[in-house]
Amino acid sequence: MQIAADHCGNRQRLVIVGAGMAAAYLLQELGGACADLDITVIGEESDTCYNRVLLSNVLAGERTEADLRMLEASAERELVNFLPGTRVDSVDLERRSLVTDRGQVLHWDRLVFATGASVARPCLPNGNVRGVEQFRTLADASHLRRLAAEGDPAIVVGGGLLGLEAAHGLNTLGFSTTVVHRQSWLMNRQLDDQGASQLQIDLQRNGIRFRLGESVAALETDGEMLTGVELQGGETLPCKLLLFATGIKPNADLAGAAGLAVDRGILIDGRMRTSTQGVYALGECSQIGRECFGLVAPIREQARVLARELLGTAVAPFSPGRWPTQLKISGIEIFSAGDLDLGGEHLVLRDESAGVYRRLVLREGRLVSAILVGDKRGGGWYSELISSGTDISGFRSGLVFGREVSEALQQSARAA
Amino acid sequence: MSSCQTTCPYCGVGCGVTAEVKDNKVIAISGDASHPANAGKLCVKGSTLAQTLGPEGRLRTPVHKGARIDWDEALQLVATRIADVRAKYGPEAIAFYLSGQLLTEDYYVANKLMKGFLGSANVDTNSRLCMSSAVAGYQRAFGADYVPCTYADLETCDLLVLVGSNAAWTHPVLYQRIAESRRANPHKRIVVIDPRRTASCDIADLHLQIAPGSDGFLFAGLLHYLDQNKLLDAAYVEAHTEGLEEALAIAASHTPARVATRTGLAPEQLAQFYQLFGATEKTVTFYSQGINQSSTGTDKCNAIINCHLVTGRLGTPGMGPFSITGQPNAMGGREVGGLANQLAAHMDFRAEHVELVEQFWQAPAMARAPGLKAVDMFQAAAEGKIRFLWIMATNPAVSLPDSAMVRRALSRCDFVVVSDCVSDTDTAACADLLLPAQGWSEKDGTVTNSERCISRQRKLVDPLAEAKPDWWIVTEVARRLGFGRAFDYQHPGQIFTEHARLSGHGNDGSRDFDISALGDLDTQAYDQMLPGYWPRPKTPLTDAPIADGHFFTPSGRARFIAAQPAMPDQDASAQLKLNTGRLRDQWHSMTRTGRVAKLMRHRDFFSISLNGRDAHERQLCEGDLVEVCNELGRIRGLVRLEGDLPPGQVFSPIHWSGQFSGSGCVSDLMAATTDPVSGQPQSKFARVSAKPAPTSCWGLLLTREPPDLPALGYWSRVVVAGGYLTLFAGEIFTPPRELYKTLLQSVQRDGLRCSSYQDETQDDFREVALDGGEVRHALFLHRNRGRLPATDWMAGLLTADRPAGSVALLAGLDAGVADKGRLICTCLEIGERQIEQAIVAGACDVDALGQQLGCGTECGSCVPELRRLLLATGKKKVA
Repeated sequence: MQIAADHCGNRQRLVIVGAGMAAAYLLQELGGACADLDITVIGEESDTCYNRVLLSNVLAGERTEADLRMLEASAERELVNFLPGTRVDSVDLERRSLVTDRGQVLHWDRLVFATGASVARPCLPNGNVRGVEQFRTLADASHLRRLAAEGDPAIVVGGGLLGLEAAHGLNTLGFSTTVVHRQSWLMNRQLDDQGASQLQIDLQRNGIRFRLGESVAALETDGEMLTGVELQGGETLPCKLLLFATGIKPNADLAGAAGLAVDRGILIDGRMRTSTQGVYALGECSQIGRECFGLVAPIREQARVLARELLGTAVAPFSPGRWPTQLKISGIEIFSAGDLDLGGEHLVLRDESAGVYRRLVLREGRLVSAILVGDKRGGGWYSELISSGTDISGFRSGLVFGREVSEALQQSARAA
Repeated sequence: MSSCQTTCPYCGVGCGVTAEVKDNKVIAISGDASHPANAGKLCVKGSTLAQTLGPEGRLRTPVHKGARIDWDEALQLVATRIADVRAKYGPEAIAFYLSGQLLTEDYYVANKLMKGFLGSANVDTNSRLCMSSAVAGYQRAFGADYVPCTYADLETCDLLVLVGSNAAWTHPVLYQRIAESRRANPHKRIVVIDPRRTASCDIADLHLQIAPGSDGFLFAGLLHYLDQNKLLDAAYVEAHTEGLEEALAIAASHTPARVATRTGLAPEQLAQFYQLFGATEKTVTFYSQGINQSSTGTDKCNAIINCHLVTGRLGTPGMGPFSITGQPNAMGGREVGGLANQLAAHMDFRAEHVELVEQFWQAPAMARAPGLKAVDMFQAAAEGKIRFLWIMATNPAVSLPDSAMVRRALSRCDFVVVSDCVSDTDTAACADLLLPAQGWSEKDGTVTNSERCISRQRKLVDPLAEAKPDWWIVTEVARRLGFGRAFDYQHPGQIFTEHARLSGHGNDGSRDFDISALGDLDTQAYDQMLPGYWPRPKTPLTDAPIADGHFFTPSGRARFIAAQPAMPDQDASAQLKLNTGRLRDQWHSMTRTGRVAKLMRHRDFFSISLNGRDAHERQLCEGDLVEVCNELGRIRGLVRLEGDLPPGQVFSPIHWSGQFSGSGCVSDLMAATTDPVSGQPQSKFARVSAKPAPTSCWGLLLTREPPDLPALGYWSRVVVAGGYLTLFAGEIFTPPRELYKTLLQSVQRDGLRCSSYQDETQDDFREVALDGGEVRHALFLHRNRGRLPATDWMAGLLTADRPAGSVALLAGLDAGVADKGRLICTCLEIGERQIEQAIVAGACDVDALGQQLGCGTECGSCVPELRRLLLATGKKKVA
């Protein structure tokens, strides 16, 4: 098949495998330059380039599918050749070609893996029974919305970001929702125990229930349908719908099979280059050093660097580091930046009824981490302070209250 | 709305007050232009009287051992206990301790019951602490307790010598009259004799900063000087006095050189004063607690009087030895015999006086010998000799020296009754029975001020709850003891006229106190009585007391008193000398002034003044916590550096009780040393040492109710609009975090929106609690006091219309509130910082400040401080 080759003329052929958010960001970053390239985006889902972060809002009925479209009516979408509902079966690095499940063969000059990640599900007997669902795509969201029945018990396993978002969606849909979380506090990768407890209080206020320090031991069915789950502690919870949100696993199998160096994810450097020249990866499928990526901010930055790399523009390489986490669950703002190791001096602000919690950690007069729940104002400033290593001793007592208060304090100290 | 003329309940000036009353509430207070004491002026304490009248903290019903009982039961209980103790231990085991806050009528019935019907003379009063040396001094010299001056003399004299008086702060309206007369009379000279440079020095031509307690030497030396320089009025001495030779003999050793050594004054300064005194005919020596509150107070009074007698300078306008009292009715108490060594109506315990009074009262059980004076009375109670004690309208647990002894006395008595208008005093805490008395604005009667002017203090509003007049309470007890016929009073006027008739009973000019002209007033005439001076005998006198050389000694001559002056003590081992006194905006133990937020802003938290050198030697800085102690006790306060305090001296205000501070009761350090003649305690002198008190942290706690505090290294509380602000420090061994937790347990937090901030490494803990938009409490705690929010800002939180969000409050910042600094002008609420800014911006004198800010234009008490700020800030500007 010569479609792509016929089409290309003398422009460089760029093929992006995966049509998720990472691909969308890359196209946005390429912008007008898309016209200079011959770009093909291949996506497994029938929907392409939508904002997956907002899926729980669709589930909750707070947003429509249209709200999620990322390249709607933009030049990029016009200039790019999309192949939705198409899976890539194999990649031949030497020939610079790939084969899709539809038998298409595509050639590229540059290839980008943006294959994303999948839910890492534990292996349990009866795991394929009806009622054990997944929540990863727009199609999943539509499916779950059809299942919704007021008051039906639903369980989300995993109290991380994705789990809580799913729980928020189900809860809003009318499911009587319980989150089962193995760790002793929610979002343990982004929050400390007290911040998590503030978040939990707020979510409980919205009707979500929690079982912390627990995991699912077995699924109970009537042979056909899920009826409940048994927890490690022995308790049985009735349940008609179960979602696993027990972490994600980079989709690196295709790249690995093609012969690229992979670990958990596809190994890349700061310019998103894989072990093979002309082949790149970004987003949830990629790995730099030991680090994989699941949040929007670093992936956007990857996209920005990769776009310049592809266009041959100079740019400083992407550095993994710890990117600040900024998100909103069920309307609750969360911000987390810096080193989550809590050794150091703590500044803690609590306003329980306003749902505000802040913990700043200092070492040697410098800010090393910030956790903000309920009010993420000042998050950007804290990130700057963390990365610049600014000495904050002069305004320590105002630090937790944000930049304005800190500056006012410094001023009054100077005046006095 | 109605308007009523009454008398101010604060100091001994006794200003007339006009009160506007509406719906049974005093809504406005102004000076009574027709009253001779003040001619319309008021000080800031007087002008804020309406704000002291709220029901908060008032005692509403009788309370027996913590339980409310009804009046009948309470009165019967008092009568029974008195009868029991009298039967079992005799009348000497019963004592009444009264107060210069009582009205003359209250005093009269209490005195009558004890001295005529119970058979003991154990009636004494807190006036013992204030002017009993002055009484004794007059009695020794004149044979009667006759104050030979009026306020007009302060204006008409050419030389005014203020001794041991900071009138600018303690008697502000008189001070204003003096200051005005000085402006009007360019020849007038004012000398201030005081170990401290006080606000009164603002108008002084000469300030003699003598060594504490050396006044007696100064005046003995003056007598010697007058003699040596032939400045005596030989004719007067010859015609009207006795005992000069002996007095001169003692004075002879007090040469100027020796006096200079004793007093620490430069010989030139001393000479200047002596020459001025010698040369100025119209001289008034005006003295107060600095003279009276001394172990040789009576001798000091007589040393002053000697100098007036020897020059014949008394009894004529513009001259005389003038003792000013501290309380509104100290004089009235003296007139009815409220002191244990007096009987009644300026009569004492000589047989003919006892007989006269016995006859007049138809008394079944006359006391025939003086009773126990205040300190002796409490010592007797501490030794178990007094079994029944009734305390009216005073707070001896704070005001008497050696508070530990006073507390022992109160706990050892079989039965302690406290009649008071407020419920929480340090003394009330020790009582078996509390009786709710009417307070100012509710009670009705008469008071006498320092110039012998009797004025009506009138009822303005209905009493709160079950509060009763003190005279009624005593009368009802007397009836239950079976003395109904002698105590058949329905109205205070009946008591007053009986008192007036007693003063004329068998008098015929033999006694100075005679108001028998008022003995027939009917109720209406009593109600309408205008202020008037005594004596007011029914039959006009042929010669006026004192003025016409009419004295009341057996010989009819005034007596010189020959007494060797003495220093307070010779023990120089302790490092520092402690002096005490009043603050400008406070009064006594603050049971009244402590309720007015703006009166707490001149000096907010309990502080102790030190000289910079002494502080530096002890590594103390302004605002640090200092512990001042001796073998009797300890107090703790914030260091206030006062350059005007000579090295080696410490000053503490007298006002702080256990209701306002954890360790501010200066009486704890005062030995029960008294003057041997008057029995007045030496409340202005103690040997002490001072050292830094280590603290673990500092905090500010803002609450709507008075907080129940845990053990603390220091605390001091002020009233603010809507609640209370407490500054505290943690004991060094109390970890700040623990203290924070304990304090949170002491406030009501259920259902409130609590926000907190913690920086544990810095010991920085904060909590603000809101209920809706209203701040309920706020707690800030920090290792470093300087890191606490401004008190002005804290003080405004409870009444803020729309307080900032709780998180902004936790930040301790609110752009809208500027810190004014401590209040200098209380009337117009102008703070130190505002004044400094105005000076920096160009205001160059008091008038300019007044025009710009209004400060100093109302009561004028702050003018000395304004002048000093002008001086200090001006210097800074130049530098």
